[in-house]
Amino acid sequence: MHSKKVRWITGFAAFTCLLWVFGLGWAVKDYLIGTTSTATAPSVSEQPIAAVEQVKIVALGDSLTRGTGDIEGKGYVGYIGDMLKQKGTDISLINLGIKGLTSPGLAEQMQEKEIGRQIGQANVILMTIGGNDLFLGGQTLSDVSEASITGLEDAFLINLKAIMTSIRSVNKDATVYLLGLYNPFSEFENGALLSEVVRGWNYKTAEQLAEDPGTVFVPTYDLFQKNVNDYLFTDHFHPNEKGYQLMAERVAALITGVGGQS
Amino acid sequence: MVNLVQNEMTKLVGKRRFVIISIIIIALLSMFSYAQVKQAESIKERLGTVDWRTELQQQIVDMQNRLSSAGQWREQIQIQIKQSQYYLDHDVNPAEPGAPTFMRGFVQNSAELFLPLLIMIIAVDLVSSERSMGTIKLLLTRPVSRFRILLSKYIALILSVSLVIFLFGILSYIISVIMFGNQGWSAPVLTGFSTQGDTLDISAVRLVSQWQYIIQQFGLAWFISIVVGTLSFMLSILMRSSAAGMGTMLACLIAGAILSNMVSSWDSAKYLFMVNLGLMDYVSGSAPPIEGMTLGFSLAVLAAWMLGSLIVSFTVFTRKDVY
Repeated sequence: MHSKKVRWITGFAAFTCLLWVFGLGWAVKDYLIGTTSTATAPSVSEQPIAAVEQVKIVALGDSLTRGTGDIEGKGYVGYIGDMLKQKGTDISLINLGIKGLTSPGLAEQMQEKEIGRQIGQANVILMTIGGNDLFLGGQTLSDVSEASITGLEDAFLINLKAIMTSIRSVNKDATVYLLGLYNPFSEFENGALLSEVVRGWNYKTAEQLAEDPGTVFVPTYDLFQKNVNDYLFTDHFHPNEKGYQLMAERVAALITGVGGQS
Repeated sequence: MVNLVQNEMTKLVGKRRFVIISIIIIALLSMFSYAQVKQAESIKERLGTVDWRTELQQQIVDMQNRLSSAGQWREQIQIQIKQSQYYLDHDVNPAEPGAPTFMRGFVQNSAELFLPLLIMIIAVDLVSSERSMGTIKLLLTRPVSRFRILLSKYIALILSVSLVIFLFGILSYIISVIMFGNQGWSAPVLTGFSTQGDTLDISAVRLVSQWQYIIQQFGLAWFISIVVGTLSFMLSILMRSSAAGMGTMLACLIAGAILSNMVSSWDSAKYLFMVNLGLMDYVSGSAPPIEGMTLGFSLAVLAAWMLGSLIVSFTVFTRKDVY
């Protein structure tokens, strides 16, 4: 009465039914009772480090590294990548910037194993840090006192030193480009005073970095000195795409010639 | 009894339902796997490397950046970050490229909506079509009790659901093996994460081989499908028109998908079946839609709904006037 085909399908369906009941039971048992690991973690096979001619760029730091304010979402890091690619350089680019990161936060991030591994493989390290330390989300704007600034500065320099030590402990050769601060508030009421603070901050940062010959301090202060509002995003703090372009051009010009590519 | 079940299966095969379902699965699979290939390419272009650690680290940082503006998703993202970090720290690739990984992701994503929809194609007119075509009279004039007739239909439904899940699995395997290759069956998968608010409990985390994980996932998907199938089965008895049953069930499923995203403050919603369909999220360790829900709880709720609808189905069917 029933065709062979249907008989076969029914039988097979019954078999799959048993299989899934088994799977369900297994899942429930595993979830409720728990088992010991049945698989072993793979032996850590270090991937061959990317081909020699590839330039590995690691970007660290705060919202500027992330690219906040750029409608294209690239930030100076993305534009540097684009510029290098255009020149025919083979790059790999990883952006580890986190919005709102301060120097203690970055020092902490450095301790992560994978971050260390990424930095270890890098030829070029890009970094923006300190902006959030100094501006505290706009607070410093209303309260500029010598003492509080010096306190912030000292803490920052200690953290910066720790960060550089962490980087050098995993990577001795990479060039580190630290982008300096600019004054987003120069057209505000006590803008002139803040500009002075930013210049002092940049100066001390540069001096500190100079202890390590493999680092380059890249000033950005001058880029935003005139017509600051043309280069700032609507939040009056982060650069816009034009501002990021300017920063990127400056850094990209310095990177050329690094990493095996003449 | 066996003959009755065979009879029902003959009807289903005759209606070419399995062919339709296979075609739908194949069409969707081709799109998904193609999209996946494209995505992998774009990631490679963006990062300039195929090293999964780099990619995962970038994902973690991207998630950290979303945290500040995440609002109500904050907890979910935090858990995801911690979980990814755990994978990274233990050197386990969460997405070992290959067919098994694709199958894992595909079944996980389709268990709540796509698979139940396929099941509905079979279940929703199992009884109502007999009524609308008038064949139910022929069926009931046979010297078999109504209870046994309905039981044979239900068994046929369970068998078909199993078959559909199998088709789903085998088709996704065939297509993904062409696209991504066959490697990765024994790749380790971390399971046993449990969540408490925004903290991730990693005390019970263990490694299982991917093939084991996939079988477990399919088991869970099967259970979800059986529950949805049973509910549609009830609707096909209660409602004369298949379209009405289909619409009701669809509304429930879609409501479930929406509710799961916004019920976290409405506590008693956890007794609704459609909020409990995300069984796999417990195993993979993402935060449940309502705090305090566990796999055992969801299974119990679903089983209760299933039992309830079975009781309704059999009582109504054996007492209903047929004219």
